Amino acid sequence: MDAALRAIAEPHRRQILRLVADEELSAGDIAAHFALSRPAVSQHLRVLVEAGLLDQRREATRIIYRARPEGLDEVRSYLDTFWSTGLRRLRLAAESEQRAGDGAGGSRPAPRATTPSTARVGRETGATRKGDDRGRRR
Amino acid sequence: MTVADDGDVIEQEIRVAAPPEAVFPYFTDPDKMRHWSGVDHELEARPGGVYHVDMGGGHVIRGAFVEVAPPHRVSFTWGWEGEDQVVPPGSSTVEVTLVPDGEGTIVRLVHRGLPAAAAPMHRAGWTHYLARLAVAGTGEDPGPDPGIGAG
Repeated sequence: MDAALRAIAEPHRRQILRLVADEELSAGDIAAHFALSRPAVSQHLRVLVEAGLLDQRREATRIIYRARPEGLDEVRSYLDTFWSTGLRRLRLAAESEQRAGDGAGGSRPAPRATTPSTARVGRETGATRKGDDRGRRR
Repeated sequence: MTVADDGDVIEQEIRVAAPPEAVFPYFTDPDKMRHWSGVDHELEARPGGVYHVDMGGGHVIRGAFVEVAPPHRVSFTWGWEGEDQVVPPGSSTVEVTLVPDGEGTIVRLVHRGLPAAAAPMHRAGWTHYLARLAVAGTGEDPGPDPGIGAG
């Protein structure tokens, strides 16, 4: 994972991955897209291969490269989880707040798993105090 | 070049049993956001304002609000602080849309511009939506879109 993340952190390497996402290209074909020296391009290719992001095969005297997109799945799945976990937490928080508000207004009962009134009061006063102290501070 | 050509896209959707007015501040108010994301926040909810969320453990997200239109839409740029980050600040954008759904809200989040070899994901995305179009074209309701990420 770390190797893949580091590998695609470099803009030229991301561009290489896009070049070979749909078609195989030789090192020369790839280098033709950049104002970089051939050794520099070769170095980028080596990093990408070692990170599992590029497949390479030899064809006669040339080496042909193609993206190995499953190498990037981990980045995607990390962020997928980041957001899905976050949004589930958001839902819990917003719905808990909503139930607390409804309960106070009497429009809907607020079934809670734990100590309804103290949990509600505690959270609300805590939030207010936090806001005064450091809401916009880092 | 379209955005889709430039990187990966993540889409998430969730229904929250609270109206958009109640859900929106969870993306703009530090006191709300800390209930679901991050340990320390600096949020200036106006276009160009700071979006700064410290996730703890040295992971810090930095960006800027792009659009703040309560209670239905908020977008911001998004990236990890630090050198050699896969997703550096300013490189990707998160768009959040809040759609009323009865007494609740459908929260739809789209994270665009992520680095990726991308082509296979684009195909997956198009397959997902073309399949839905196909169903809609028959006059049937394809149902709520679970998003690509939901499988």
